[in-house]
Amino acid sequence: MNLRVLLIDDNAERAAAVTAGLTADGCTVAALIPDHADLVAQVRAARADVIVCDLDHASRDAIESMRALNRDEPRPVVMFVDHADPASIAAAMEAGVAAYVIEGLQPGRVRAVIDVAVARFRAYQALRAELAEARKALSERKLIERAKGVLMQTRRMSEEEAYRALRRLAMDQGRRLADVADSVIALAGLPL
Amino acid sequence: MTLADPQTLEPARTARIPANAAITLGFVPLTDAAPLLVADALGLFARHGLRVGLSRMQAWSAMRDRIAFGALDGGQMLSPMPIAASLGLAQAPTGRAMAGGPPLAVVATLARHGNTITLSDALMNEMTSAAPHLAAIRPLPAAALALALAARRTAGRTPPTLAVVYAYSSHTYLLRHWLAAGGINPERDVRLVVVPPPKVAEELANGRIDGFCAGEPWGSRAVDLRCGRIALTTADIWRDHPEKVLAVSAARLAQDPAEIEMLVASIIEAGIWLSEPGHLEDATRIVHDHALPDVPREIIALALSRRLVMAPDEAPTAVPGLQFHPDATYPHPEHGAWWARQMQRWGQVDTFPANLAAAIWRPDIWQRAAPLAGIAPVPPALPALPGDLTP
Repeated sequence: MNLRVLLIDDNAERAAAVTAGLTADGCTVAALIPDHADLVAQVRAARADVIVCDLDHASRDAIESMRALNRDEPRPVVMFVDHADPASIAAAMEAGVAAYVIEGLQPGRVRAVIDVAVARFRAYQALRAELAEARKALSERKLIERAKGVLMQTRRMSEEEAYRALRRLAMDQGRRLADVADSVIALAGLPL
Repeated sequence: MTLADPQTLEPARTARIPANAAITLGFVPLTDAAPLLVADALGLFARHGLRVGLSRMQAWSAMRDRIAFGALDGGQMLSPMPIAASLGLAQAPTGRAMAGGPPLAVVATLARHGNTITLSDALMNEMTSAAPHLAAIRPLPAAALALALAARRTAGRTPPTLAVVYAYSSHTYLLRHWLAAGGINPERDVRLVVVPPPKVAEELANGRIDGFCAGEPWGSRAVDLRCGRIALTTADIWRDHPEKVLAVSAARLAQDPAEIEMLVASIIEAGIWLSEPGHLEDATRIVHDHALPDVPREIIALALSRRLVMAPDEAPTAVPGLQFHPDATYPHPEHGAWWARQMQRWGQVDTFPANLAAAIWRPDIWQRAAPLAGIAPVPPALPALPGDLTP
């Protein structure tokens, strides 16, 4: 692609992933965690053809304003309207990617940059979702272990019996095992 | 009219409850998000059978994109923004602008006033040396700044840097209008930059900017940090100016106008509630807890009760500050037209369609909503617009 890309992202891990993807495609990437006051100077210094950032990034208003406030500066314009294809707009929105093309450059040339950014943002999102899922599963298992312990102690059940009791309760009440475990632990805290 | 506590209100005068009433709205954490926050916290949306989800946005651009592409149904927006979006400002000029009509509809004004022009102590002192009498006047006349700028030029110093929160904002156009009225060319005599609102006080304190125009609580924050003084409010530039509007996706409005009318009714009710002095403490708590947990409650309370501490160690002064009352919520298309003329005046657009504002501002929706909130569907008189001066 051979374009200069300025990547603005507070998330260093994700920025590294996007940078790797774009560099592999032949782009020169300047990634930065923005200092709001110097943003305009940094955009100028990067001599970027395209700016990629998080859709919700607080510095977007400043990037968009460059065009109206600083006539002698680079003039970034947001890319969404350029995508004639609604599916790719939806993909960018969903992945949380906003892209600006510096006026003068053919918007079509930037398309590939956005596609790479969207793919990397998505992969990162999926990774985060999996991590959150794994953490939740772990904490649920801990809950169930604690509830088993409560039952073993207060009802003098074996571990096997305690687990079966929890599962029966969950099935009878149509609730999740972790939720039942949570109630058991809460009740154990009640004064007798 | 006055509105009693929400608990004692009679059931909402609604004929129907929409089957699928999940509306998502965005807000930016500012004092003037109060009508949305209050309508949510007091259950005013729910009384109309609406299930509204509020989500917090960090940038106006993100709000616009999310509404335009259906990820939000609507939200709080800077009053000039729907015009800018329709004209394709800040967007690549590929002719999609206005194709199939504007993407946004303005169905209510959320707040009038509420911004300050706050200048650094150093710049204030320069004005006092250059023009002692003018510099002492409040609201500060721009002529005082003009004389200080002349002194700077003579001394070979660079022009001051003034920050706004977004290029296509009430702050920008009102600041430019004020500067121009004092004979200052905003393009040449000062340097305008954009700084996100929560950063402006900090930036003034560290000397990277010399002043700013921003909504409360940020002017008060600068006074609190003892790095600046409030020179005037934007109400001193355009009395009764619209500040934020409630904009919804035009597609969503077309799909279920009755639902949007109930939304507007809730906003009118929230505005009536906010206008009751007895509700100040509750309103402050709601805004603090839901939007600005890091800002001291006293500062939020001052803004909501239209008072300001203009300089460190001064007592609060009454100012023409935030207004939420029913007349203030009416969406006047003339407001949109004034913003469009400013965009033209400052060279952001060459021309714009004559019916542009009328296509976006929808007082008809407000008029159908008013009776649902118990007020007469009578358009209030249009407050005077500022003169269109040439720069």
